[in-house]
Amino acid sequence: MEIEGLKRRFLNLDFDERSFEVQKEAMLEFAAACGETAPRYTDPAHADFQAPPTFCARFHGRRMLPGDFPTLGIPLDAGKAVMPQQPIRAGVKLVGKSHLHDIYEKTGRTGRMIFLVSRMELYDEGQALVSIVDSRLVIRERPAA
Amino acid sequence: MILDLHSHSVRSDDGRAQVENYCQWVRKRALPIDGFVLTEHRQFDFESDYTALAREHGLVILKASEVETDYGHVLVFGVTPALVQAFDFASIRLPLVQVLEEAERHGAVAVPCHPGRTRVGMCAHVEERGPVPGVRMVEVYNGGSRGSEDEAAHALAERFGYQGIGGSDAHIVSHIGRCATRFPGRVQSEAELAEALRAGAFEAMSWKSKG
Repeated sequence: MEIEGLKRRFLNLDFDERSFEVQKEAMLEFAAACGETAPRYTDPAHADFQAPPTFCARFHGRRMLPGDFPTLGIPLDAGKAVMPQQPIRAGVKLVGKSHLHDIYEKTGRTGRMIFLVSRMELYDEGQALVSIVDSRLVIRERPAA
Repeated sequence: MILDLHSHSVRSDDGRAQVENYCQWVRKRALPIDGFVLTEHRQFDFESDYTALAREHGLVILKASEVETDYGHVLVFGVTPALVQAFDFASIRLPLVQVLEEAERHGAVAVPCHPGRTRVGMCAHVEERGPVPGVRMVEVYNGGSRGSEDEAAHALAERFGYQGIGGSDAHIVSHIGRCATRFPGRVQSEAELAEALRAGAFEAMSWKSKG
């Protein structure tokens, strides 16, 4: 599969949009799971109460790849990166818009791998960008028969 | 002077270490290295400036690249803007011969790394297709080597008369400085590093067995 062709055809085109409501309970559960101790993440009564920086990693679109993306193999989770832009408060409604941000290949002990970076940008009701979440998928090339 | 010649920061897609955290680790653990070289995957990082960080920690921090060729991965030291234009650093199908020739033409030095590693090391490719003219040195100590990969690298170097360098191949903080290369004099810049490698007076070192 020719990577440059895939990039030309699929990069930077929104393929999914989904709404989320940020609930206080979910924020607290996430903070506890992360081992957060700072009151602004663990105490709803705190004046600056907000979600932990990586909170938006829990949000998923309806699909990870564009509907017409070719089947290259079985994609495996290759990690996530969250780039928080603004504090996220309890009760806020977010819209997550997804696009393919990058496609690249590399070689390793197991052979050639193709990486797909699906990026979700989360906006609040005022259209302000509050967080960017990159979900990386890896597809291993099938060994030659 | 001892430099870890092979490391990756978060600028590499699989790097998990901030450069500042490498510096803190080297100093906190009193590692016996004077600095390290960031060899980011399939790119050269022209943007980052680590001068202040290097000064703050009293370390030498240099930049290089790790590219991917038909004979496995290759470290390129002494990268210049002109060299980056000479071939596509992002490609995973670079002919090793081309990388060696262009590096030589631009005053850089190309060194096949972790040659004993499956698929991305030079040894298996040499067995299959023979040696490549122009290779002068290989990485004989790699901090990420498994099993007998370093032994295979040493055997390759001995067989073809290659010189050996060492580098940790660190992707996480605690791996920095596990292998390195000792030079007789000071090396303060990318150009000086390329010159020191060309001069050939260096020694690969490993502390892996010491935990």
